[in-house]
Amino acid sequence: MTTDVPTLQEEERYRAVLGLDPAGAGTLESLISALHDESWRVRRAAAEAARRLPAPGEVALRLVSVLGERGETGARNAAAEALVGLGDVALGPLIRLLGHSDPDQRKFAADILGQLGRRGAENALIQALADPDLNVRVSAVEAVGRVGSEVGARALERLLKEEEPLLRLAVLEALTQLQWPPPLPVVVPLLAEGRLRRSAYRVLGLIPQVAATELISRGLGSELRSVREAALGALGTQASVADTPLRAEIDAQARTSLKRLPNAMEFVSQAFEAEDYYVRAGALVAAGALREPTLAVLVAEAAREDRLLREVIRTLSRLGAEAGRELLGRMAELSLPARAAAAQALLEMVDPSYVPALSALLEWAEDDLRAVAVKALGRTQSPDAVAPLVALLDEPALAGAAVRALGVLSGGCREAVIKALEAVMEQRPVPAAVAAYAHAGGTAALPTLRRLARDADPLLRAAALDAAVDVDPAVGLELARGALVDEAAPVRASGARVVGRVGDASAGSLLRRALQDEDIAVRLAAVEALGEIGAAERATDLEAMVRHPDGALAGRAVRALARMGTIRPEVLRQAARHSDAEVVKAALQAGAVSAEGVALAVEMLGHPGWDVRATAARVLGDAGGRESLEAVQAALASEQDALARRALSDAVERLSRR
Amino acid sequence: MSAEEFRLLRDHVYAHCGILIREDMKFVMERRLWPRLEALGLPNFAAYHRFLRYDTRRNAELDSAVEALTTHETYFFREPVQLKAFTEEVLPLLQQRNAGTRRLRIWSAGCSTGEEAYTIAMLLKESRLFEGWEVEIYGTDISRRVLTTARKAEYGPSSLRATPPEMLSRYFISLGASKVRVRDDIRAWVSFGHLNLLDAESCLLVPRADVVFCRNVMIYFDVPARQRVLQVFSDKLVPGGYLMLGHSENLLNLGAAFELVHLRGDLVYRKPELSWKVER
Ligand SMILES: C[S@@+](CC[C@H](N)C(=O)[O-])C[C@H]1O[C@@H](n2cnc3c(N)ncnc32)[C@H](O)[C@@H]1O
Repeated sequence: MTTDVPTLQEEERYRAVLGLDPAGAGTLESLISALHDESWRVRRAAAEAARRLPAPGEVALRLVSVLGERGETGARNAAAEALVGLGDVALGPLIRLLGHSDPDQRKFAADILGQLGRRGAENALIQALADPDLNVRVSAVEAVGRVGSEVGARALERLLKEEEPLLRLAVLEALTQLQWPPPLPVVVPLLAEGRLRRSAYRVLGLIPQVAATELISRGLGSELRSVREAALGALGTQASVADTPLRAEIDAQARTSLKRLPNAMEFVSQAFEAEDYYVRAGALVAAGALREPTLAVLVAEAAREDRLLREVIRTLSRLGAEAGRELLGRMAELSLPARAAAAQALLEMVDPSYVPALSALLEWAEDDLRAVAVKALGRTQSPDAVAPLVALLDEPALAGAAVRALGVLSGGCREAVIKALEAVMEQRPVPAAVAAYAHAGGTAALPTLRRLARDADPLLRAAALDAAVDVDPAVGLELARGALVDEAAPVRASGARVVGRVGDASAGSLLRRALQDEDIAVRLAAVEALGEIGAAERATDLEAMVRHPDGALAGRAVRALARMGTIRPEVLRQAARHSDAEVVKAALQAGAVSAEGVALAVEMLGHPGWDVRATAARVLGDAGGRESLEAVQAALASEQDALARRALSDAVERLSRR
Repeated sequence: MSAEEFRLLRDHVYAHCGILIREDMKFVMERRLWPRLEALGLPNFAAYHRFLRYDTRRNAELDSAVEALTTHETYFFREPVQLKAFTEEVLPLLQQRNAGTRRLRIWSAGCSTGEEAYTIAMLLKESRLFEGWEVEIYGTDISRRVLTTARKAEYGPSSLRATPPEMLSRYFISLGASKVRVRDDIRAWVSFGHLNLLDAESCLLVPRADVVFCRNVMIYFDVPARQRVLQVFSDKLVPGGYLMLGHSENLLNLGAAFELVHLRGDLVYRKPELSWKVER
């Protein structure tokens, strides 16, 4: 047997590296010599250890010197890996290395800078695009593709005029990576070049224009299989970046080209097996354009790639009801992701003939699939769907979905729904059935609901109350008074929610007890309700709650106070000091109307949570004056998080206009 | 779902179980979580995020969310090349190594609905190397729902799509209507449990194993999370024990806790022995 079993000595060397003291004298040199070890495990361990040494600047310099040791491939690669691990401190030495006299060194520098992926290297890499050595130029192109901004992309674009095909290929790939297509006239001649074709088509797909679609369609009709496949990849790319009107155009054009192709079906079916993700994406667009129901299973299976899910659902929906029946019949054989996609698409195609197959699905499928089946049953508008849905009302995972489906169903066959639910009310009511019954029965359900509000089962009492308020707010409020002194917490919570939904400001006193309830769910409901009804006389209770360590209570109290319009500056500050970021955000949003709130937002630009900083930026954009501009600009300059950056730059723009 | 809602939910899920949802998967997240919103009657994803953080039912719901976000796709005899190498090359070695104790323990980490754990059991039976041994196969998963299915051991055509016909007749009982159940002697070797691989505490409960299968699980994890999980595996494997990863997974850039072993048929990872006996 040929196993690579490390020798005893190797194991010792490996352990020696792991045992090195980062702060010890001579550790750096020991690591450097370990980088030259014949065993990759030892080299890897040394590269790992290098990033933990103190004085990383010195380490970086020493590692760069290893890069210069020709003939020591293993050591150089390990040094490169270690430099990537060092991060920012490696930037300077590597940029200097781009100016080395040895092209091999310069190429190494470019490669590593690309892996580091720091924007700070962009200018240096752009200069390296003009390096006299071709290999360096190619590496620089790839690196710009990884770190580049618009400036980098423009610099790359200019290189498409160069002679060297290898370079142009690298440029096309890099531009694809940057999602930056060059102008159409620049791309067109590249489509004819064998070696560049695939990449050129890919870039073409990034251009959301009809003219590009036309070129792609022409490619689809090519005699050459490789061209057709490249064009399919472009089709997939374009579909993923297109907006709706262009998308319709793409579908129409693809259909025309494919219809002219004698073995379109075969070609498209095969494309589903392609390695290339974009070719498979293109196959989906093509299948949708062909509207061929026999492709349904292949299409559904494409959902095994998560990123294609959206396109799969869209395509299946276009294949029509016949495809739907095909899928439903073969559900059990499909892979799990395919099943989920198929189920979703079925919702679009559903008709009464689907009921038996959907009911069968309820017998064996996973819960998420069953949830879709439940929804689909509602959409069949068939009385046959009533019984299977009613049977689900006491299954916790699906009861909610079943209630909604029965609601949809009662649009078409109300009598059947009510009759079935009345039977349930007589025999064994469950909370979900109560909700469904109230929805379908309307005021006719009220006597039953009143009766259930006194049932021995607290869950039924709560459900009856929640349902009654939907049917008649006055009845709901009347029942809520009793519920607030119920011995069961779920009923008290339900009572508080109902007051929030239908009470007015005078109902605040009803909620006083609930605010101090022993059960946190009841307290949460009461706080929320106070905000809804705007009971300002309870503001002090809410202010006390802002200090509560539980973020849920504190956050809701802040929001409730804000809704009442009575949040005081001290309370705002207190909320902003809460350890839960959601409470801080609530405070920022609540404060947006006041000068104190704006001042607070400026402070919160330095909060550790990206979402808090983003919220602060938004508040300042909405409510700040020009005097906040400087602070926002400063925050933007040091912001690392993409979403917070966007919020900050929006705020800068809005504040600059004030 | 706004970009912000997406990120908040993503961060929350990540902190819980190490599953990282890439930025371009927002749509997938939306699709998969939408049924949860519907089930809870929540109006939007901001409300869902608050629910996950503050509702009294938040722990159960977090499980459901993770459940919805991970793909549980699995089937019997998945990745046959690796299984062949496992059967023909790893199992004989393990038989030699453990001949003294006559005990074999295998952990299927992220076992989903159990097909992998049962497949391993069937391969062990097929090999006839461990007759009369104490064999234990542990299947664990973060999703409680898949474990219910795993325990039931009843499967349909989708799970069987790569099962060789002779295995089907030898190790399954037909239940009619294209359903089968795994035979009892296979089931007797396998047990299941709930476990979050990123929760060091719950991993304490897993006994030491000779082999860990963790295939198509770490694809969801980013590098720091992978590192944490690999540490768990390294702790749980006996020295010289094997780690079987999925076909498209590797330990590049993940430090040196495991060594790569070149078998004739495949590459596998192994926890280094404490002292080295050089083999033939
Ligand atoms: C695609 S399945 C793989 C099943 C099987 N190992 C195979 O290869 O066929 C991935 C499984 O990993 C589980 N999983 C994901 N994250 C996990 C975590 N943090 N802890 C435990 N299991 C996890 C999921 O619930 C899912 O069932």
